[in-house]
Amino acid sequence: MSIIEVEQLKYRYPDLTDLVLDDLSFSVEKGECLGIVGENTAGKSTLCYALAGLIPHFYKGAYGGKVTVNGLVVREHEIADIVENIGLVFENPFSQMTGAKKTVYEEVAFGLENLGLDRKEMHRRIEQYLKLLDVFAVKDKNPFDLSGGQMQRVAIASVLAMEPDVLILDEPTSQLDPQGSSEVFEVIEQLTEKGMTIILVEHKMEQIAQYADRVLLLHQGRQVALDTPEKIFSRVDLKDFGVTPPVVTNIAKALNVRYPDSELYPVTIEEFKRLEEAK
Amino acid sequence: MNTMTLYVEKDSPVHHLDPLVKLLYVVAAIALTYILPEPLFIAGVLFVTLLLLLVGKVFRNSLPILTLSLFLIFSLVIVQGFFHPDNVTELFSLGPLVFYEEGLYVALILVLRVLVMIGSFSVLILTTSPDEMVERLIKKGMSPRIGHVILSVLQLIPQMRATTSKITDAQRSRGMETEGSMLTRIKAFFPLMGPVVLNSLNETKERSIALEMRGFGSSMKKTFLNEEKQYPYNKLLGGIIIAIVILGIVWRVMA
Repeated sequence: MSIIEVEQLKYRYPDLTDLVLDDLSFSVEKGECLGIVGENTAGKSTLCYALAGLIPHFYKGAYGGKVTVNGLVVREHEIADIVENIGLVFENPFSQMTGAKKTVYEEVAFGLENLGLDRKEMHRRIEQYLKLLDVFAVKDKNPFDLSGGQMQRVAIASVLAMEPDVLILDEPTSQLDPQGSSEVFEVIEQLTEKGMTIILVEHKMEQIAQYADRVLLLHQGRQVALDTPEKIFSRVDLKDFGVTPPVVTNIAKALNVRYPDSELYPVTIEEFKRLEEAK
Repeated sequence: MNTMTLYVEKDSPVHHLDPLVKLLYVVAAIALTYILPEPLFIAGVLFVTLLLLLVGKVFRNSLPILTLSLFLIFSLVIVQGFFHPDNVTELFSLGPLVFYEEGLYVALILVLRVLVMIGSFSVLILTTSPDEMVERLIKKGMSPRIGHVILSVLQLIPQMRATTSKITDAQRSRGMETEGSMLTRIKAFFPLMGPVVLNSLNETKERSIALEMRGFGSSMKKTFLNEEKQYPYNKLLGGIIIAIVILGIVWRVMA
C-alpha cells in the first residue's frame, strides 16, 4: 500500500526562473526506506519540503502536480494537519531546537502541546521516544548544552513523539562528527527494523546502500531512476549525475565481483563477502 | 547555558506569588505615583516595593539596576532644580546658576517615581522566571507566538553572541585585526557582521521550518506539559491591590 504518492510534481522557487522539481512521479510503500541521492542542487531538499507540505504552504512559488501523504493531498491541507502524518528532520540540529524550552523533556513536549494532547499522553510519548533515542539520561539538560549528536537525536525524538507515519531525514548527519553520525545511524537502523516509513537524503552512499530499500536518483530536478540500491549504484553513468557509489561497489567493480548472471555489483560489505566467497 | 534573564532562583514568599499578581502590582504601583503625586505617598509605595525586594531576598540583586538609574536621577535633580519654569524660591546658587526649592520638589517626585518604577519592575523580573511568566500569560489568552518570541529571544541572543565570538575568532585566525584604534574596529565590523547576519537569517529560516513541523501553526487548542501552579492568596492579593488603587483615585477626587 502506498503511503506517499507523487504525481507529476513540478516546482519553481519564487525568485528563480528554472524548475527545481521537474515532473517527478513515484510512490513510497508503507514500511519502506527510500533513499534520495543526487548532486548538490539536484532538488533533494526541495523534494523533502514538498513531501512535508512546506511547499507550497511555507515556500510559495509555481507549483504543479499532486503529492498525497496518507491520503491527504498536501496542497489542500495546512502544515499543521500534515505534521501528524509526516515528520521532517534536517541537517542543522542547532536550528531545530525551539529556543524557548529550558530542558530536553520540555523541548520534546513542544510539538505535543501544539497538537493539544492531554498531559498523560504527553508524558507517555516523551518518555518512550527519549528512551528510544537514548537521550532519556539528559532529559533535564538544556538542549543547547548537548553535543551535536545528542541534539540531533533530541530533534528526531521531538518529531517522532508526534507519531507521524513517515519520517523524512534530510542529511541528518552532515553537520555531525563521526561519533554523532554513528549515533544517528544507529537510530535509523532501529527505526527501519521497526518498519517505519523513512525518506533518507544522504551524501554518505554507504549508509544509503545499508538502509534504503529503493533509491531515487535526481539530477537537476528530474527523476533519473528509481530502483534498488544495487541497480542504482551499478549504473555506469552514475558519476555523470554527481554521485559516487559506495567504496565497496567500486572495489567490486575493480575485482569484477558481481551477482551471478547480472551486471549488478554488491553495495554492502556483507554482500561483497558473500559473493566473493561464492565465487 | 546562558540565558538573558535577571531571574534569581530563591525560595521566598514573593517568588511563590502569581506572576500576574506581581504584574498587577507593577501597574498599580506606577499608577499610584501618578494618582497621588505627593512625595509622602510615593515614598510609601517605594517603601512597600523595597520591603517586597527584601522579603523576596533580591534586594542586593536590585542594587546594580538602581545604580544604573543614578545618572537619570542626578540629571532630573539638576535640570528641575535649576531650570523648572515654576522656580521662584532660591535655595543656593553656583555662580550665575540658581537652584530653586520648587524645582527640587518636582525633582523629588520624579526621582521617587523612577525609583518606584525600577523597584517594582525589579520585584517582578528578579522573582519571576520568564517561562512561568509567559506560560501564565498564554494561559490567560496571550498569543503563543508572542510568548514564543519572548522566550526564544532570551535564549537565542546569548547563542548569537557565541556565534559572533566564533566568527570573530575565525576572522582573526585569518589575519583580520579586530582590536586597536576606532578605525581598525570599524574596518573589522563589516567583515564580521556579514557572516553573523547571514548565519542568523539562515538559522531563523530553518527554525521557522522546524517550528512549523512541530505544529506551531496549528489552530488546535494548545495544551501545557506543566500542571497549572496553585498560587496562594491569589484573588485576595489581586483584590487588595485593585482596592488600594480605587481608594487612591477616590482620595484624589475627594481632595
